[in-house]
Amino acid sequence: MDFAFTKEQLMFKQEVVRFARKEIVPRVREHDLASAFDFDSFRKMGDFGLLGLHLPETYGGQGADVITTVLAGEALGEAGVDGGLTLAYGAHTFLCADTLYRHGTEAQRQRYLPRLCSGEWIGCMGLSEPDAGSDVASMRTTAVRQGDRYILNGTKMWITNGPIADVAVVYAKTDPSQQHAGISAFIVEKGTPGFAAGTPLIKMGVRSSKTSELIFTDCAIPAENLLGKEGEGFLYAMQTVEWDRSALLAPFLGSITYLLKRCAEYAKGRVQFGRPIGKFQAIKHKLADIRIFGEAARALVYRIAWCKDQGRPLSHLEAAVAKLYIGDWSLQVTNDAVCLHGGVGFTHEFDVERIFRDTRLAPIGGGTSEIQKMIISKLI
Amino acid sequence: MNYDFTEPEKQFFAAVAETAKALAAELQTEDADAARAAANLRTGLRRLAASDYLKLETSGRGEGADGPLALMKAMTEFAGPCPSLFLAVEYSTRVFGRAVAAWGDAAQRERWLRPLAAGEAVGALALSEEAMNVENDPLTTAGRREGETIFVTGRKQSVVNAPAADTIAVVGVLDEKPALFLVPAGAPGLTIGARRATLGYDGVLIADLELKDCPLAADAVVHPPDMARMLGLLRFWENQVLVAAAVGQSAAALEAARTHAKTHRSGGKPVIAYQEVGFKLAEMLTLHQTAEWLAYRAAWTAAASPREADELTLCAKVFATEAAEKVSGAALQILSSVGYLKGNPAEIAYRGAKFGQIAGTSTEIARVHLGDAAMGWR
Repeated sequence: MDFAFTKEQLMFKQEVVRFARKEIVPRVREHDLASAFDFDSFRKMGDFGLLGLHLPETYGGQGADVITTVLAGEALGEAGVDGGLTLAYGAHTFLCADTLYRHGTEAQRQRYLPRLCSGEWIGCMGLSEPDAGSDVASMRTTAVRQGDRYILNGTKMWITNGPIADVAVVYAKTDPSQQHAGISAFIVEKGTPGFAAGTPLIKMGVRSSKTSELIFTDCAIPAENLLGKEGEGFLYAMQTVEWDRSALLAPFLGSITYLLKRCAEYAKGRVQFGRPIGKFQAIKHKLADIRIFGEAARALVYRIAWCKDQGRPLSHLEAAVAKLYIGDWSLQVTNDAVCLHGGVGFTHEFDVERIFRDTRLAPIGGGTSEIQKMIISKLI
Repeated sequence: MNYDFTEPEKQFFAAVAETAKALAAELQTEDADAARAAANLRTGLRRLAASDYLKLETSGRGEGADGPLALMKAMTEFAGPCPSLFLAVEYSTRVFGRAVAAWGDAAQRERWLRPLAAGEAVGALALSEEAMNVENDPLTTAGRREGETIFVTGRKQSVVNAPAADTIAVVGVLDEKPALFLVPAGAPGLTIGARRATLGYDGVLIADLELKDCPLAADAVVHPPDMARMLGLLRFWENQVLVAAAVGQSAAALEAARTHAKTHRSGGKPVIAYQEVGFKLAEMLTLHQTAEWLAYRAAWTAAASPREADELTLCAKVFATEAAEKVSGAALQILSSVGYLKGNPAEIAYRGAKFGQIAGTSTEIARVHLGDAAMGWR
């Protein structure tokens, strides 16, 4: 057993931190407060090579291994990039682009991946529905084959990048009589008649990511926009879980490191009762708990990344443990960080309230904590 | 990066686990009887000496396994089935033994470590004093030279194995420098207090001791080079043992609860089918696995990056020992009246968890150190 990163991996991580601090972080607060997507930073992430980091160079990617890719996500959080932009990056890269790469034809890969890797196009994934969140098999969106077209009808909900996406990987029932086996995946481009995004939702956190419904009304797409095979859509969606439990959790890890630094700086500088508040044991304890949480979470995330690099099948039990731990236990430490800052922690001035709001998504998005507990209790 | 143990390592861990289970089945390791506890310790040591377990990190490589990470994994396998025997063995082998291995000269290592590795001797380390605290106030236990003899005077409290040990390494000061006085059992001037009645670890012998002009030959004094470093390492080794104890006992409590939840039926179905039970088990497993991986990473760091190891081990100590209390507490709830019976792994782990939070670096002091480190004050 060896927990060491290679020298190259660590150097790359530092490069990402430097890039993000210079090119993204100065505008984070502005975009968070305005609930505005930072298109400029997103394009710069594409130019830097982050958006298709793990994809082959043939398609505009960098061919990085999974651990390096996860490190890049951690670096974004560590630099101070907000959860909104990292979520948008995750949905774009892992839920959309990666699915297109894994299951797309060569023509589909050539058409979409270079644009997604560069950031010229933005991608999203449409899986959840108003009445089919955790219970995916209950989805009502249908795709009916008519000659050389599929006709899509239905509504997708909670779609990260929905209002700004140029291309969506959409899951729909091709055989409504089936449960999971009736689900297929499709590629739908922006501007397709019958396809519209709903009004962006106003959210508690991850505000700079744009979230909306995707609405399909007799939306006709070419039959060649079927992704992979009919009836395998649920399998494809579940394959994104490996990324969800590693690369998408990585920015949370990084943001905890960032949070600890912010809290430590504040504790050293804020004087009360004639001494820095960091001299009080209760404050030291809060700092310690933030550190412990981050350290405890790290091995869980990188274990999943390592297994993926080794080509091992995902252990759903271990994936659920990682998601549950980071989701549920992050709430206490991000709350502590706000409390440590006192009144200013309740303002936008020190980023801690943003991280608190952003982190609140962790036990909800990508499978709620309750779903993780269901998975674990069945597999234990 | 590699998240797998090697095959020889896995075989070694399996052998340790088998030995631990066999010892737990044969001996009443959680029995509070003092004579039985002392006898169990001797038996356990002799049995463990058949493998290389006792040599790890003290006097050589283990067969197929070596280093702090392998030791951590092996210790967790041992700790689960027989917690008290584990603690007594480890305070002898990995706390007393590592101190002699680290700072003893060749003759001292030969004299004290060979019988230790052979399972023929029991050691103890006497560190804690009434005045010891977060600031490491000066030790009051001290040696005084008279010719070739050193006379040691001082008081120590809560010394694990004190009533059973052949040699007690008493931490103190000699010539204003740190010293470990290797005091044999029955030495003149050494008084072992009455065995302490404790909340948990019923099968461990813990007592205070007092030394009044206890005479020692000069070759029975070990000279660590630096007081702060010595105290830091002694606690570090103790913390590693306590982390392993917490992880191992969490595993035992979790397994007891899991088995019960799958086999005990209520309302026509196994109780695990109720979300209140199933979700509780999910939280327990999450805490346990997280603690386990943090323990492994901290142990690996001890070899790969010793500078980081101290802080990461404190993280593991706080997390694992607090997780052990939560996991075993939840296990007691799931096990209901079965868990409340004396001898159930969950109740043993629940009582033992508190020791883990207090002994070594207490969780409060660990958090102070980690907080200071975050602010660059440590």
